[in-house]
Amino acid sequence: MIEVLGVHKSFGSNEVLRGVSLDVAAGEVVVVLGPSGSGKSTLLRTINHLEKVDRGFVSIDGDLVGYRQHKGKLHELKEREILKQRRHIGFVFQNFNLFPHLTALENIAEVAPLADARQFLARVGLADKEDSYPRQLSGGQQQRVAIARALATRPKVVLFDEPTSALDPELVGEVLDVLRDLARTGTTMIVVTHEIGFAREVADRIVFIDQGVIVEQGTPAEVLDHPAHERTRAFLSKVL
Amino acid sequence: MPPSGTLTVVSTKDRSVVLASLPVVAARHPWRWVGVAAVLVLAAQFVHGLVTNPAWDWPTFARYFTAQSILTAVGTTILLTVLGTVLGFALGIVVAVLRLSKSPFLQAVGWTYVWAFRSIPLIVQLLFWFNISYLYQRLSLGIPFGPEFVSFETVELISPMGAAVLGLALHQAAYAAEIVRSGVISVDRGQLEAAAALGIPKFRQFRRIVLPQAMRAILPNAANEVISLFKGTSVVSVMAIGELFYQVQVIYGRNARVVALLMVATVWYIILTTLLSIGQHYVERYFARGDRR
Ligand SMILES: Nc1ncnc2c1ncn2[C@@H]1O[C@H](COP(=O)(O)OP(=O)(O)OP(=O)(O)O)[C@@H](O)[C@H]1O
Ligand SMILES: [Mg+2]
Repeated sequence: MIEVLGVHKSFGSNEVLRGVSLDVAAGEVVVVLGPSGSGKSTLLRTINHLEKVDRGFVSIDGDLVGYRQHKGKLHELKEREILKQRRHIGFVFQNFNLFPHLTALENIAEVAPLADARQFLARVGLADKEDSYPRQLSGGQQQRVAIARALATRPKVVLFDEPTSALDPELVGEVLDVLRDLARTGTTMIVVTHEIGFAREVADRIVFIDQGVIVEQGTPAEVLDHPAHERTRAFLSKVL
Repeated sequence: MPPSGTLTVVSTKDRSVVLASLPVVAARHPWRWVGVAAVLVLAAQFVHGLVTNPAWDWPTFARYFTAQSILTAVGTTILLTVLGTVLGFALGIVVAVLRLSKSPFLQAVGWTYVWAFRSIPLIVQLLFWFNISYLYQRLSLGIPFGPEFVSFETVELISPMGAAVLGLALHQAAYAAEIVRSGVISVDRGQLEAAAALGIPKFRQFRRIVLPQAMRAILPNAANEVISLFKGTSVVSVMAIGELFYQVQVIYGRNARVVALLMVATVWYIILTTLLSIGQHYVERYFARGDRR
């Protein structure tokens, strides 16, 4: 479903991704772990073309992201076409990024018919909050609205960039419940998180990134309980 | 009874009962009252002067305040303000978008527009448009440096009123562009990223996500601009257009009641500015809607 092939990305002289390749199957839940600054956010952002890659390719369901192959050449897509592609890729931000001047329902209705918007809001358990503005909601509720909004374009994959990191500890659970529910119903997702317990329980595969390369990957049991690499062990000893 | 100066240990409960029984004395601000009194005395003196000093000539004021010629002139002033604002801000949004675009060429075009029209004094610009027919007698549509298809006499195309509206709008657009731009760059980057990640088309992003949030920062400045344009229309009196200020000049030129007629204009400016300020309050409240708890 998602294919990341030899992706390189630098900011100035700082090479943040150094040849990352990753295949995610339909319905698979991949959790990305890694120390701060290792390039996790950058990887997610290159997948939906919020960052342009310097080298390498990303494709979703067989379609190259940001380019079109035609007569032996790669043509860069226009912004309008990239925006269309992004509707297939949901993105959930660490700090929600809800539109503050729109109600919960209007936030979702911005990208979906009203009836659908109501359904998605109900799906994250906030049917009674449709007329609330983001500022009137708790952090956990805001993130749930943001998740409903990301689902509203009916994407093929959903990317989560530390969806619970900005939340008070007692609000983390309600957001993880929504993620669990999505995983159970077969949503293809890549989740960057520091919630090791959640990763162990929900992930089909865990990918450990450090300094812009994938150091190792495998089932939660393999990576969390029997890490093969020293760097993985060092990281896990700090977070577990 | 313990002697005074020694500590008594009281339980918290007793203590709260004791505190609750004490009367509360509100903080006093005697100097505030002195200030209020001083201001009231000055205001009373001023009003007394207005009423009793015959030089203010209130009967003349009353005669002209709602005279037909004055009302027509007020209408012209309002029309100039509305056209200047609407056309100015419409063009201003375009110029702001140019300045914010990714293309260095478009940025330069926007920057040059703002630079040019902020540099030229409004009155000079107005006189220039007023006299444009000396510069170009005919305006024509055609292929540049090639044959013309249609052509007009400039005098027919640009009336004095047209020249005034053109001048005010072009001048206003330069300031409006900067106000709009400042509002747009005040919107959190995360909002644009979220809109981009959701695949919302570019124009819709601007109209539905960016502009409503930018309005919070734009409105107070825009209201300032509208009010200053409203009074600034008095500048077009140099073009002999019958707006409020020109009209009172004409009248006091005839009857020499300068003060009374200036007061007629002043009171109209105050009334309309007040209405604009009230309107501003409600518009601002509308755009703050996500901010109320
Ligand atoms: N827009 C940018 N411009 C310049 N440098 C950037 C930019 N975005 C990220 N970086 C740099 O890239 C590196 C990787 O950043 P990234 O946000 O991908 O890390 P991360 O793994 O998500 O870290 P964290 O766990 O702290 O979120 C960091 O050194 C960061 O400073
Ligand atoms: Mg990050």
